[in-house]
Amino acid sequence: MKRRTFLGAVGAALAIAVTSGASLAADWPKRPINLVVPYKAGGGTDAYARAISKAAEGILDVPVVVVNKPGSAGLNGANSAVGARPDGYTMMMTSGGSFLLSTLTLDTDIDALESFQFVAQVGQLQTSLMVPTGSPFQSVQDVIDAAKADPGSLRWAHSGRGGFHHVGGLGFLASNGIDAQDVPFKGGGPTRAALIGEQADFGFLGVQQLAGFEDQLRALAVNSQDRDAVMKDVPSFGELGIPFAAVSSPVIVFAPKDTPAEIVSAMETALEQIASKPEFAELLAPRGTGPVYQKGVDAKATLSAMKNDARPLVESLSN
Amino acid sequence: MEIFPALLSVVTDPTLLAAILLAAVVGMIVGATPGLTASAAIAMLLPITFYMSPLFALAFLYVIGKSGRYGGSIAAILFNTPGTAASAATQIDGYPLARAGKAGKAMKVATISSVIGDFMGDILLVAGVGFIAAIALKLGPPETFAIYFAAFVVIGSVIGKSIVKGLASALLGVLVAMVGLDPISSEERYTFGSFELSNGIGLVPLMIGVFVLGEVFSQMEERRKSAGRIDDNQTAADDDSLTWEEYKPCLPHAFRGGLIGAGIGVLPGLGSAIAAFISYGEGKRRATNPQQWGKGALEGVAAPEAANNAVSGPSMAPLLTLGIPGSTIGAILLGVFLIHGIQVGPTLFLTDKELVYRLFACGMLGIAAYGVIGYFGATQVARLILKIPTNVLYPIIFLTSFVAAYSARASMFDVTVMTVAGFVGWLMRRHDFNIAAFVISFVLAKGAEETFRQSLLMSDSGLLIFFERPIALAFLLIGCAAIAFRIRSIVKERRIADGELGDA
Repeated sequence: MKRRTFLGAVGAALAIAVTSGASLAADWPKRPINLVVPYKAGGGTDAYARAISKAAEGILDVPVVVVNKPGSAGLNGANSAVGARPDGYTMMMTSGGSFLLSTLTLDTDIDALESFQFVAQVGQLQTSLMVPTGSPFQSVQDVIDAAKADPGSLRWAHSGRGGFHHVGGLGFLASNGIDAQDVPFKGGGPTRAALIGEQADFGFLGVQQLAGFEDQLRALAVNSQDRDAVMKDVPSFGELGIPFAAVSSPVIVFAPKDTPAEIVSAMETALEQIASKPEFAELLAPRGTGPVYQKGVDAKATLSAMKNDARPLVESLSN
Repeated sequence: MEIFPALLSVVTDPTLLAAILLAAVVGMIVGATPGLTASAAIAMLLPITFYMSPLFALAFLYVIGKSGRYGGSIAAILFNTPGTAASAATQIDGYPLARAGKAGKAMKVATISSVIGDFMGDILLVAGVGFIAAIALKLGPPETFAIYFAAFVVIGSVIGKSIVKGLASALLGVLVAMVGLDPISSEERYTFGSFELSNGIGLVPLMIGVFVLGEVFSQMEERRKSAGRIDDNQTAADDDSLTWEEYKPCLPHAFRGGLIGAGIGVLPGLGSAIAAFISYGEGKRRATNPQQWGKGALEGVAAPEAANNAVSGPSMAPLLTLGIPGSTIGAILLGVFLIHGIQVGPTLFLTDKELVYRLFACGMLGIAAYGVIGYFGATQVARLILKIPTNVLYPIIFLTSFVAAYSARASMFDVTVMTVAGFVGWLMRRHDFNIAAFVISFVLAKGAEETFRQSLLMSDSGLLIFFERPIALAFLLIGCAAIAFRIRSIVKERRIADGELGDA
């Protein structure tokens, strides 16, 4: 009897030893999950991360901690996440379009499509063509006509060269065969302020930036085939029949490459539940954004397609 | 008149009131401790405020700044070492008063004058900031550049003991600011292929380095040179009470100081120390008893103290409406706004007007708080500071600065930056370079370059854009006038402007 107990204990110990690798994944999550955001707190991506962190209560048993690691157009945070221990406790949430473009334009070993596993997409940031309320331009066609009438006379503002707003704007100019001088500002807020102050003739900035500024700005079109899910009053380039480059920025959660598949799929499910929570949408609404969920595989496909679209534009940047 | 509902909402929030009270005490202690400045304390406390709500964080740091400027006068009067550069002028008459056994009287005059000056500054800020914000939206890159230009000129011409060293300090600040990505084309500059340097040099580690670590190093050196410095001016507190008859002649000096301080505060880059010296000089010129000044005149305490505190409020105007920090404290507060996702600049008054007025309300309550504590408790604060031995205090400060530098961005690289900046700050102090000019030009250079190049993009590289736009032209003229004015009076100024462009 005693011997049998002993053997059983040994067996159990062995079983624990053997399965401990697997149980690491099965027990996940046991500790708080660090969600690296490679931008300063306060931006669009950060708003998503903080909403996820709040809405995760009740779905994940552990807190989701937002860790801002800004710098180098988002590559600083990506660098720290790519080398993190692949145990499911460090993941990265980033603006997919900007991340993709910065890996293409800056000197880095990170490949947006290959260096990480795609967990899921939870949101979407879209750029749009805006003018100040006092502007003579009432429609996109007015802008195109004015640019054609006097090439190079117009100034347009965006939030930094190489970002998806800049590339989106370049795509609009290139596909319509027009020419305008860009004036980069640092980030969305200063760009919006400059546009309100009529320092530029038009600007490409996040469509969500219109929220609360309807009296100062007029959004002529959002840079996509269909209208934005939240800012529904703004027409899209697609419905206006105006050619554009499909550059947007899906907000995607990435995991380090070697994270166990069980953990990635558990997180994917958790994110799906979080994204469908009404609380999540409520947290985002004042920012003019909303939940847009896609599975990891689909998010990767979206980003690959964007890479092909953006490549010629990016090449024109580095001339 | 948005300030009244804001005041009401702040007064009815007990936790916020407690935070203001705490900040007033912390600021006073920090300001009164020689070698610890309010900007250093704010830089070190910045990471803690990540966990507070925006209003809490801003009010806490803003009040520390105000009360720290006042606290500097305690050390200036009692120990003849200005707690902050801003109170260097206070020491001229404050210390003789302390030697004459009138330390308590002098501190009470300093308290009342600081409160008067600070309130004047804040009232002018509240009255004028909405107007400035309204026109700020119309200011584009050319106008903003002109304002930066004026600020640079003013720094360049008010740089303390040695003009050459002052200019060199400012130039070094510009050079360090260039490290990182080009603001327009995003190309790397001065990064030497280092990934970390491509982020640029962070303001917080740089400031903690030069202000805190550099100061600790300097103090270590001081101690070795003169072991056993004595503070023999702790006189019996028999002549501490202040009568209305005694303060009455100080009143015009306090009001004039308040106006001078407020006027200087609006211009970015000048700061409290300059305001204090100008007010002292102006006060002495107009005084009925100029021969008393410098030997222990109460008016000589009132004039600079009112001026250096009056800077506090108006210096928020360029920060909030244009995003141009006029002082080192302003630069840190700018970071707090950004961390909490509030975009400082012309649109601030459209998005977060209530928050701004609540912050102003907190500032006013903070003035009242340090006024009351200071009036009745300044002597106790001074005793407390004397009780903490420096061989306990400085190691703690030393350790805290490492933690603070790391925690701001969770980056070891920032710790390296801070350490290097610490040695640079120590060397600069040792050789009489101007640290504040270095830091302020570091802060201004980025914005100046960005707006200059944006302007050129707007005008197809034509420089006329700066002259065609009336507001831009006006500020350029102000800058040029400042140069002319300084050159004219530089000989006269150099006698009294021994103080540096300090802890503004």
